[in-house]
Amino acid sequence: MNLPGKMDVGKDKLRQMNCEFNPLSRCDGSVMYSQGATVVIAAVLGPIEVKTQNLSIDGSYLECNYRPKAGLPQVKERIREAAIRDVLELALLAEAHPRSKMSVQVQELEDRGSIDACAVNSACLAMLVGGLPLKYSFAAVHCIINEQGEYVLDPDQSETLHQRASFTFAFDSVEGNLLLVQTKGAFKIAQFNDIECLCRAASAEIFQFYRNQVAKYHGRSEAIAEKEEDASMET
Amino acid sequence: MFMNSNLFEPGKSKPERNFVQLAVKQNQRFDGRRSNECRDVELTFGADWGTVAVSLGETKVLTHVTCDLGAPTTSRPNEGKLQLNVNLGGVAFLDEVQSTHDQRSLTLNSLLERTFRSSRCVDLESLCVAAEQHVWCIRVDINVLNHDGNLYDASTIATLAALMHFRRPDVTFADDELRIYTEKEREFIPLLFLHYPVSVTYCIFKSSGQPIVDPLLLEENAADSVIVLSFNSYQELCTLNAGGTAPTNVRTIMQCARNAATRAKSLVDFIRKALSLDEERRLQGGRLVQGLVALIGENQQKLSFRKLMGHQKQEPQDLQSEKMDVDTKAIAKPRVEEMAVEEESSKQETDAPLDSSSWLPQDEDSQKLPTPSEASASKAGKGKQNRSKSKANKKQQAKKQNNSDSEEEAKPVI
Repeated sequence: MNLPGKMDVGKDKLRQMNCEFNPLSRCDGSVMYSQGATVVIAAVLGPIEVKTQNLSIDGSYLECNYRPKAGLPQVKERIREAAIRDVLELALLAEAHPRSKMSVQVQELEDRGSIDACAVNSACLAMLVGGLPLKYSFAAVHCIINEQGEYVLDPDQSETLHQRASFTFAFDSVEGNLLLVQTKGAFKIAQFNDIECLCRAASAEIFQFYRNQVAKYHGRSEAIAEKEEDASMET
Repeated sequence: MFMNSNLFEPGKSKPERNFVQLAVKQNQRFDGRRSNECRDVELTFGADWGTVAVSLGETKVLTHVTCDLGAPTTSRPNEGKLQLNVNLGGVAFLDEVQSTHDQRSLTLNSLLERTFRSSRCVDLESLCVAAEQHVWCIRVDINVLNHDGNLYDASTIATLAALMHFRRPDVTFADDELRIYTEKEREFIPLLFLHYPVSVTYCIFKSSGQPIVDPLLLEENAADSVIVLSFNSYQELCTLNAGGTAPTNVRTIMQCARNAATRAKSLVDFIRKALSLDEERRLQGGRLVQGLVALIGENQQKLSFRKLMGHQKQEPQDLQSEKMDVDTKAIAKPRVEEMAVEEESSKQETDAPLDSSSWLPQDEDSQKLPTPSEASASKAGKGKQNRSKSKANKKQQAKKQNNSDSEEEAKPVI
C-alpha cells in the first residue's frame, strides 16, 4: 500500500489531526477523529440507566468498550480498552451523576500507527461534545525510539516496524499531570525523560486543536478562538 | 428515572405509529422523499483491501473482509468458507435493549446468510488450495456504526462492495508446503463471483396500499410489515423475506419485486463504477489513497450514488424514467387486470354472489374447495376472482428462482 507515510511531517511533529463532531445520530455525543491515516470513531451515551449489579450510590458507573475493525476483541484490544477506561475514570466527574451509567464506545476504523493515543483522544473529544462532566480534558501522545536511536513523535505504522521502544503518555489539561504511561522495549531513563518532555509539548498542540474544533463546532470562528488564546497568553 | 426501553426506538409508541400511518396515507415522508425514492448511497473505500464504509443517509455500516487459510469441512472438501459476522453493539448503541437487539441481529444475520451464502454468490471452489487440506476462509465483519432505518440494504451493499473490493494473496502448494506470496512478489487476486446480489427493503402499512422503499428507522419501526427482496444483477430473486402483520397483496409484492430488480441492477452498476474509480486512484497512488480519513467532512473520496450515476451521460434521467416506466407499468398493469377481473366477476355475478367478504367465511364452513392448495389460497384472504392470477404469479416467482443458479434456494420452493 503506497500510503503517504510521515514523509511530509517532521519526526518531532504530530501528524495532521482532523475530526468531525456528531457523525452518528443515536448517541449523546460522537466524534470521528483522525491522526494521519489512523481513524477512530468514539461515541458516548450518558447518564443512562444502570444495571443493579453495577449501581453505585456515590458516583456514576463508567462502561468503556473498544472494538477492533475485524473480529472479536482480543487481549491487545482489552489492554487498550483498560487504558482508555483508566484515563477516563481519572478525568470523569463521577459524583455528578450517582446511580447512573456513562457508556463510552470506541470503534477502530483504520489503524496506521499510534492507535492507543488516537483512541484516548477521541474518547476525550466525544465526552466534551456529549456534554458529560469532566474534571479536565486529556490528551495522549505516542512516541517511539527507532533503530537509529532517534525519537519519532506520532509515528506511522511503517515506521514502527523496527522500533527499539515505544511510549504512550497522557496528560491532563489543567495541571499537566501524567495520567497514563505505557512503555514497551528497552531504553535509558534519560531517554524516557526526554520523550516525556517531547510528548508534553505535543499535548499542548492537541489541546489547542480541541479548543479550535470545539469552538468551530459551537459556532465561534477559529480566528476568534486563537486571538483569545493569544490574549490570555499575553496577560 | 431513566427510560431506556423506548429511548432508542422511535416509532414504537402508539402516537408515533398513528402519526406515521397518517403521513403514509397522505403519501408524505419525513425527509420529503416520494414513496419510491431511495436515499443517496455513499461508498468510501479504506486503504486496505476489503474495507468499505457505506452510508445510506444517516445509516452507516463499516465492513471489513479478512482471509485466512484453514481446513475445509468434511462435507465439502473442495470448497472455501465464507463467514459473515454482524456486530450491532459498539458505537451504534443497539445493544442497550437486549430483546430488540437479539431479534435484530438474528434477522439481519439470517438475511445476510441467505443473500450471500445460500445463494452461492462467491465461487467457493476457487478458494480451494488443496482439497481436504487447505482452503481459504473468508471472514466478513459487518460493524454497524449508526442505525437510521434500512440496515438490511446498507449491510448487503457494504458486504457486496467489500467482497468485490477484497483481494487475497496468491498461494502455492507444492511438496506438502504452503507458500503465501506477499503483495510485492505476486499481485493479489480478487474473489470470483457467480452473481452479485443486493437487497432492497420495502415497508407496508395497513393504512395505504403503496409500499415505501428504503424506510427510515421511524418508518421501519412503525410499519406493519417489512419486505426484503434480494436481487442479483441479472435480476434474479435470491432472497425474499416478508414478515409482519399487514396482509399483503400478491400484486403489491410483484410490484415491489419489479422495482427492486431494477434498483438492485443499478446498485450493482454503481458499486462496479465506484470500484473502478478506486482502482484508478490506487494506480495513481500517492495522496489520492486516503483511506477512511475521507469519511471526515465533505470529500471527493466519498463516492455517492447520485453523483456517480449522474456523471454518466444523464443516465439518472434515463434511469429515473426507466424506473418510472416500470412503476407506471407496475401500477397500470394491475389496473388493467383488475378491470378484466371486474368484467369477469360481473359475468359470474349471475350465478354466484362474489362479494368476497360475504362468501369467504361461508366458503370455509361448507368446505367447497376440494384441493388443499386452493383452501390455503382462500385462507390467505384472496377472493375467488384473483385466485388464478395469484397462482400464476407464484409460478412466476418459482420459475424465477429456478433460473438462478442456487440449488439450495430453489429446492424449498419446489
